Amino acid sequence: MNLPFRLAFEQRTETPRRLAVMVPLLSVLAAIVAGGIFLFATGYSPFETYSNMLSDGFFSSTGITDTLGLSTVLICTGIAAAFAFQMNLYNIGGEGQLYLGMIGGAWAGLFFGDRLPGFVMIPVVLLVGAACGALWIALPAFVRARLGTSEIVTTLLLTYIGASLVNHFIYRAGSYFRAPNTLFPQGRQVPDSAMLSPLGDTTMYPTFFLVTVLAVFLWWVVRRTEFGYRIQVISDSPRAARYAGISAQRTTVQVMMISGALSGLGGATLIVGTFGRLDPGIVLLGYGYAGIVIAALARNNMAAIIVSGILFAGLRTGGDKLQISTDTPIHIGVMLQGAILLFALGGEAFRRYRVKVVRMQTATAQGAAQ
Amino acid sequence: MNSNIWVLMSADSVALATTLILAALGALFTERSGVLNLGIEGILLTSAITSFIAADSSGSIWLGLVVGSLLGAVLAGIHAVLAVTLRANQIVSGLALVIFGTGLANFLGKPYEGKNIETKILPLSFGPLTDIPVVGPVLFGQDPVTYFTIALAVGASWYLFRTRPGLELRATGDDPATVDAQGLKVSSIRIRYTLAGGAMVGLGGSWLMLAESAAWHQAATTNGIGWIALALVVFASWRPIRLIAGAILFGFTLQLPFTLQAENITFIPQAFLQMVPYAVTLISLIALSRPGSSNALGAPRALGTPFVRDER
Repeated sequence: MNLPFRLAFEQRTETPRRLAVMVPLLSVLAAIVAGGIFLFATGYSPFETYSNMLSDGFFSSTGITDTLGLSTVLICTGIAAAFAFQMNLYNIGGEGQLYLGMIGGAWAGLFFGDRLPGFVMIPVVLLVGAACGALWIALPAFVRARLGTSEIVTTLLLTYIGASLVNHFIYRAGSYFRAPNTLFPQGRQVPDSAMLSPLGDTTMYPTFFLVTVLAVFLWWVVRRTEFGYRIQVISDSPRAARYAGISAQRTTVQVMMISGALSGLGGATLIVGTFGRLDPGIVLLGYGYAGIVIAALARNNMAAIIVSGILFAGLRTGGDKLQISTDTPIHIGVMLQGAILLFALGGEAFRRYRVKVVRMQTATAQGAAQ
Repeated sequence: MNSNIWVLMSADSVALATTLILAALGALFTERSGVLNLGIEGILLTSAITSFIAADSSGSIWLGLVVGSLLGAVLAGIHAVLAVTLRANQIVSGLALVIFGTGLANFLGKPYEGKNIETKILPLSFGPLTDIPVVGPVLFGQDPVTYFTIALAVGASWYLFRTRPGLELRATGDDPATVDAQGLKVSSIRIRYTLAGGAMVGLGGSWLMLAESAAWHQAATTNGIGWIALALVVFASWRPIRLIAGAILFGFTLQLPFTLQAENITFIPQAFLQMVPYAVTLISLIALSRPGSSNALGAPRALGTPFVRDER
């Protein structure tokens, strides 16, 4: 590879504020343009597709509430991913922890449903869901802290095991979670006391506000508390942390368990809202994986995740309705998510470095002159 | 009848191991150069559907294999530019590739759902050798790609540990500063092996499609094989020969649920059988871990860290 030029990277000491805002925006734009070219090349109309996605995702009355409704679970999985990512712990099994949260939430709803009143039931369902999510990451967290086993692969493998568990609970005859006497296997609905009512005539539930407040609270925890400071020190310099007497092992377990609990909470919000039962279709929706993209785009900033979560929910809502409004496959939505993240990562380089194109000839000429 | 199924199962384990070996070998070469590509699952899936489309529209399965491999290299190229040239976070970049690849594959595969390929890659027959009981079907009843894969893994071992470029590759993953001081271009070496690795993964995905499944089932086509392949590289301590043994073991566990179902062994619920390969992978990963550093296992020391030379 002998190119006539090469790229030189100069580390920026300070990132201009203008760039910190422009880079993510331009990444999204670039991904949309690239997606448009791809759509055009495969024989679909980019303008029609995008205008449909925009209006169905954001600018119609049901569109925006559908988007905010969907963003509830996505913000949850987003903060779950970011909470671990900020300490360089790559919990990418949020998807599996979400399944477990849904299983736990459904169990709590079915088990306590007729014995407890609604105002106790809702917190119980959410907490049991969060606890199950934490439980699902306990083994990866423990072996990561103690033995250094890569959490990336272990959490991911547990997602596949979690998916089989969901299937087991729905498709096994006589399962506790399965609705009796239905032709097609489906989950048993939790009692009304374990469910919230949507806001008016929408698909939005009060859990949206809970999750938003939680994101802001975690932003405060990260920025302003001793615990957040500890996380910062460990991720910046593990050695400095050791000298300061901070136990990286314990913090690793704590951070990963919180991350798992947040994903589990996301699963439980689907029980008190949207689904109201354990639904095997959850394994196809990829809400947990989307959280990774949302966290990365917000650069693990808990408050910014609210924005990127809503943006992605809009992409999904608009994308999912595409098949109805046009004949474009809905998968363009997922593709765009990936493309946005790829462009955002590329853009990151321009934020961190001053990129210059250096001619090779002048460089060799200089070398010869010396 | 019974023993026949178990023989077929062993033969199938070797067959399934083909995709695992190719995907893991691709990851191994990439990681040996110091680049961590977590996008294997996305590459497998996209190359599977493109090989299907190429084979379906041209009528040639061999063209399908070529197109699938090339696409693997192209996708890995995205990762190479981000991770090596632009020094992006390799973990996030790999994950982005999985998400992008899954969306792309499902988008492209939409018109092909439920469609079957007309000619599959067929196993070779060595006449009387293939008819030997037990050993015959396992050793002499595989298809050409499987034999090529085994040869590739053996060749890879020789290349890595017995040749000059192999030494340079290992050095780039372990100690890029020294390689740079020798006057070699670290980034060029890393990009080359990331591309080559991607092509191997792409071949694995194409083979899975054209020989194993022969029909497109969206993300269920690969069903996590890419992630198992990544664990397999750790399991094999980044050594190609151990990788063959590990792949056959994992291939066996992937095959187990189907065989037990065919045998009508139903006392273990199907869902739990489906967990077996992932659980086995998980347990072996943990069992191989040691407190302290992962270097004891033989991981390239500079794995996942971008090389930054002091620039003037």
